[in-house]
Amino acid sequence: MAQKTGGQLEETALIRAAQGGDRAAFEHLVRAYDQSVLRLAMNLLRSPEDAQDVYQEAFLRVYKNLDKFRFDCSFHTWLYRIVTNLCLDHMRKRKVRKEEPTIVATAEGPLDRMDAVPEERVDGDPQRFLFSAELRKRVKEVLAELTPRERMVFELRHYQGLRLRRIGEILGTTEEAAKNCLFRATQKMRAALGDFV
Amino acid sequence: MSGLHQGDMNCAAAKDLFALYLYGELSFDEEERVESHLDGCAGCTKALGRQREVQVALDNLGIEPAPSLLRSCREELHMRMAEESQSLTKYGWWDQFADLLTGRSGRSGWLKPAGALTLLALGFGAARMIPPGAFGNGGALQMGVMEPSASRVRYVEPASDGKVHIVLDETRQRIVSGNLGEQKIQVLLISAMKDPLDPGLRAEAVETLNSSAKSSEVKSALVFALLHDQNAGVRFKAMEGLKPFAQESDVRSAFTQVLLSDANPGLRTQAIDLLTKGLNQDNPAQSYDRQVIGAMQELMRREHNSYVRQRCKTALESVKASIETY
Repeated sequence: MAQKTGGQLEETALIRAAQGGDRAAFEHLVRAYDQSVLRLAMNLLRSPEDAQDVYQEAFLRVYKNLDKFRFDCSFHTWLYRIVTNLCLDHMRKRKVRKEEPTIVATAEGPLDRMDAVPEERVDGDPQRFLFSAELRKRVKEVLAELTPRERMVFELRHYQGLRLRRIGEILGTTEEAAKNCLFRATQKMRAALGDFV
Repeated sequence: MSGLHQGDMNCAAAKDLFALYLYGELSFDEEERVESHLDGCAGCTKALGRQREVQVALDNLGIEPAPSLLRSCREELHMRMAEESQSLTKYGWWDQFADLLTGRSGRSGWLKPAGALTLLALGFGAARMIPPGAFGNGGALQMGVMEPSASRVRYVEPASDGKVHIVLDETRQRIVSGNLGEQKIQVLLISAMKDPLDPGLRAEAVETLNSSAKSSEVKSALVFALLHDQNAGVRFKAMEGLKPFAQESDVRSAFTQVLLSDANPGLRTQAIDLLTKGLNQDNPAQSYDRQVIGAMQELMRREHNSYVRQRCKTALESVKASIETY
């Protein structure tokens, strides 16, 4: 049996304490993962309000069901199963409604709310110059064209840096199926962006 | 171009696999075939470079949630958990147990006598376990501390005099106020800058320290945050705070490290700007200037981001340095 690292032992102790009703331990667990959960939801849903909803719903579910966690997978995998299911539900509902929730009407015309999201930037952020409006537009278009599953696998691999095996575990599928999904997503990206740079 | 090359893979098939190749997600055999094809195909090698550029472009479109959003999420969750705990307490295990005993739950009545016996046993046990008067004034249990906001029994130690020592871990909140110039305030802010679990807190602490007169401890803490913080937003703020020290050698050395090893292209560009400001245009041969120029030439060799490369090239040209090392 593989030896647990110091960090894993500490996490196991935190989970057991939280299962025993220690709220401070639970909040420590939340803080260990919540930034990446919020980033995942924000990147997938591209709406701060929806991302905040997913954050609340996910951690409340974890809080209510922590006693059912039996350590048969990592806590990260268990948490991400909950988060990815919630995000997929949001994305599927959005596809059905055929709405583009990041665009809002303003007196100055339509505005993409993501452009107004306060990101961690300094004044005169050079990244702003890096990407023309055209590239941003094309990336948004191609991301919107991906199916929710393709979008999810792409997000988990590209932005969260997870390996396909772990992604398969999270999404309840095989590594091979996750690979096919990523392949389709990257083919679409290449078709849309390949000639751009 | 779609002719066959080494490894029985044609150009179209190789290009299909470039993205997975860059993610390191191909099987050993697939990777071998792609690399074998690349060895003999200049067109595909160039196409792989373009695919790499696409990946870098995508990197820069990822959204990092603002610390304020993370903070408001945490506050809301904290409140909702408190509500959840209250509702659980209102109908907790005791209510469910009482329902079983009284038949309010609608379950079969045979549980009633069993429940009555259990209650008797519980009462007997509790009377033996809880010291008399423990819940009243002047009872045996004395705590020489103020009410903590969170506590946990770490261990229990029987003492020789028949008493028991219980060691508690406690977390209590306390408000400490003071001017930013005061040492105790700076020490607390520096400690907040190192909180491993809360990037929002770290960013806030750095921002607050940036508006204070900076002691050498603050400067060192900002350098540490710039070089080691996992969160790019915190590193940006630390770099902002170090701007007044941009001419000092230890800070320039930190900027040089950022230039060569920070994962964020925005920070690398900012490092170029700050280092260039300090370059002595009349005498670029000064020792630290030579180091900076060397670092920028090294960056030209390894940088994939076209914007960062462009800025670096302009900076080198401005001090009449060659673009690359030969």
